[in-house]
Amino acid sequence: MNTTGNLIEKIYYDDDIVKKFTLATMIWGGAAFLFGLIAALQLAYWPMNANLEWITFGRLRPLHTNAAIFAFAGNAIFAGIYHSSQRLLKTRMFSDVLSRIHFWGWQLIILSAAITLPLGYTQSKEYAELEWPIDIAIALIWVVFAVNYFMTLRARREKHMYVAIWFYISTIITVAVLHIVNSIEIPVTFLQSYPVYAGIQDALVQWWYGHNAVAFFLTTPFLGLMYYYVPKAANRPVYSYRLSIVHFWALVFIYIWAGPHHLLYTSLPEWAQTLGMIFSIMLWAPSWGGMINGLLTLKGSWHLLRTEPLIKFFVAALTFYGMSTFEGPLLSIKSVSALGHYTDWIIGHVHSGALGWNGMLSFGMIYYLVPRLWKTELYSKSLLENHFWISLTGVLLYYISLVVAGITQGLMWLAIDKEGSLVYPDFIETVVRIVPLYWVRALGGLLFLTGFLIMCYNIYKTISLAPKNVPDAAVAVERTGFDEVTKEAHRKLEGMGLVFSVLAFLAIAVGSVIEIYPTLSLHKYVNPNNITDPYTPLELAGRDLYLKEGCYVCHSQQIRPIAAEVLRYGPASTIEESMYDRPFQWGSKRTGPDLARVGKKYPNLWHFSHMMDPRAVTPKSIMPAYPWMAEKNTDFLVLRKKLSVMKMLGVPYDQDVIANADIHAQKQAQQIAADLESNGAPKGLEKKEIVALIAYLQALGQKGKAQ
Amino acid sequence: MKQLGLAYFTDTHLTAMGLLIFFCFFVGVLFWVYRKSSTPLYHRMEQMPLLKDGE
Repeated sequence: MNTTGNLIEKIYYDDDIVKKFTLATMIWGGAAFLFGLIAALQLAYWPMNANLEWITFGRLRPLHTNAAIFAFAGNAIFAGIYHSSQRLLKTRMFSDVLSRIHFWGWQLIILSAAITLPLGYTQSKEYAELEWPIDIAIALIWVVFAVNYFMTLRARREKHMYVAIWFYISTIITVAVLHIVNSIEIPVTFLQSYPVYAGIQDALVQWWYGHNAVAFFLTTPFLGLMYYYVPKAANRPVYSYRLSIVHFWALVFIYIWAGPHHLLYTSLPEWAQTLGMIFSIMLWAPSWGGMINGLLTLKGSWHLLRTEPLIKFFVAALTFYGMSTFEGPLLSIKSVSALGHYTDWIIGHVHSGALGWNGMLSFGMIYYLVPRLWKTELYSKSLLENHFWISLTGVLLYYISLVVAGITQGLMWLAIDKEGSLVYPDFIETVVRIVPLYWVRALGGLLFLTGFLIMCYNIYKTISLAPKNVPDAAVAVERTGFDEVTKEAHRKLEGMGLVFSVLAFLAIAVGSVIEIYPTLSLHKYVNPNNITDPYTPLELAGRDLYLKEGCYVCHSQQIRPIAAEVLRYGPASTIEESMYDRPFQWGSKRTGPDLARVGKKYPNLWHFSHMMDPRAVTPKSIMPAYPWMAEKNTDFLVLRKKLSVMKMLGVPYDQDVIANADIHAQKQAQQIAADLESNGAPKGLEKKEIVALIAYLQALGQKGKAQ
Repeated sequence: MKQLGLAYFTDTHLTAMGLLIFFCFFVGVLFWVYRKSSTPLYHRMEQMPLLKDGE
């Protein structure tokens, strides 16, 4: 096989962009971990919410998740992709300008998220909270990245694309598809929109997106990085290149189907739930194939753990990847999900992936990259060792405490005595029991942050002591692989970037279309006899406040057909009950109880007192107080626009209601305010946000014909 | 056509056939990837990250 070309060229790689993304990773990583620690402390000790709306848990948690995923992991991915791709493709990135637009555009997006989320501008769809102007910006910057990347592929000097490149390609394509499909929304104001999907459609599209954000933002690009940096750091080729091929295709094909495992036992059609469960279990095989391939790459090189301690981070990352990809399929089994879903077990699972897999791999990569990019040695290997062990202890404490908390609380929720009654009928009993474990979790987070700060110091010293003004060295490259004569399809495929990309797209398109398309015909699943009434204008205003305050972060609105759940919350939720919900509010975590049927369960005054000071009605509650809702006015005028957008999306509002939405809302608000006042609440609440929120809460579970 | 497709969407024979097609395709890929004749290529591919490249 002749793989050599004739011409040797001298080129310069664009390492400046890699440096930029590396430093951004560290800056945003610090922010993400700090937000996470504060949020953890808020759960252990509610006064940490400080009665400040901008940092209340409901708003801080989305800021933390977005910062961790898109700012920390995102910048880490870009750093690694820009660094490794140039070397694997033997070419400089196609355009320095596009690279910089990508970098600065992405940082601006992060900044806009950091401003809008604390202010309460959110779509309330997990990991897709950002409002429509930012969604458009994300799409545009992603296209810039894609153009830059695919043009670089086109200009490559190595015909064959190493497996890491495949993972990067699938990331670029799939993230674009996920983001665009999940973000189709109709703007209402400059920073508010309603999704075109409703109820089960919205739930399915959102968790198709949500799960595949984990798959194609936190897994495939990191696997690409793993396939490059682990062999590089160990100076050994990957254990089995063949396995990596099977790993790639099996993973991208299977992963895309797994989203509905987030919706087991919900009112999502049974077939979609089963499909999600089966594919999640199948996912076990390729995930472990990849993990084993990574670990066995180090076979015969374990002594390097002494001389190259950064490899410890890679070993830990792969071990956590194996652990969380074992646990994921396990949690996707319906009977396990019945116990684990809505509990802290899921949060523990997510963090073993995010801190253990993404975090550790990013740290290993940064320790590998920084000395090479700045042409120096790492300042201190012992600080690196300290970082590793402190972080590892932190992740383990975090994970174990939350798994124990989740299983404990899950069992308490499900416990039924011989008479058929709930053993723990008061939800708060199950919360109080696990608060000590929230402290352990916060300690784990503190250790992880401490380790990270040690890394920051080590990297700062490394860079500041690096020799200055060292010119970039030219690299001699030659074209390879282009003069091969082969009839074998596989070799051709690897050499054909466009065809490869189309096939990767098809692999993810099959599962997406089969799962999403049928649910777009919502009417097929709706029983005409059970159709619900739409929200009144005031209830809709209250609903938007519910989203704004991030109530969905801690409260679900979906009662599963499980005996203990029906006993606790009432009859299982139906498809019809959320058919006008844009966005759906099924939630994914129950730090507080489910609210699907909370309407009319308590008087208005109870809700008022609860929102002003949760402990006034529920002693030992860990919920934040929302005093500003009794001070801020509801925007009644915008309701006409909101209702007209809803009408456009198919919600059956009369023209009269739309045209006089503000008047209808004010009338209902006056009734609620009068009731509150007559029961001892302050006067003059009719214009306040709290009244709109109460109207919405009292409507929950009350809209169906059955009620 | 669309209605027909949706009506038969949960037909177990159709889904079993789909599963069979996917599984056979997977086994085919497995055989194809593990053919002995591709060993030299994979050997070259796996060396790619290890080339000295101005790291």
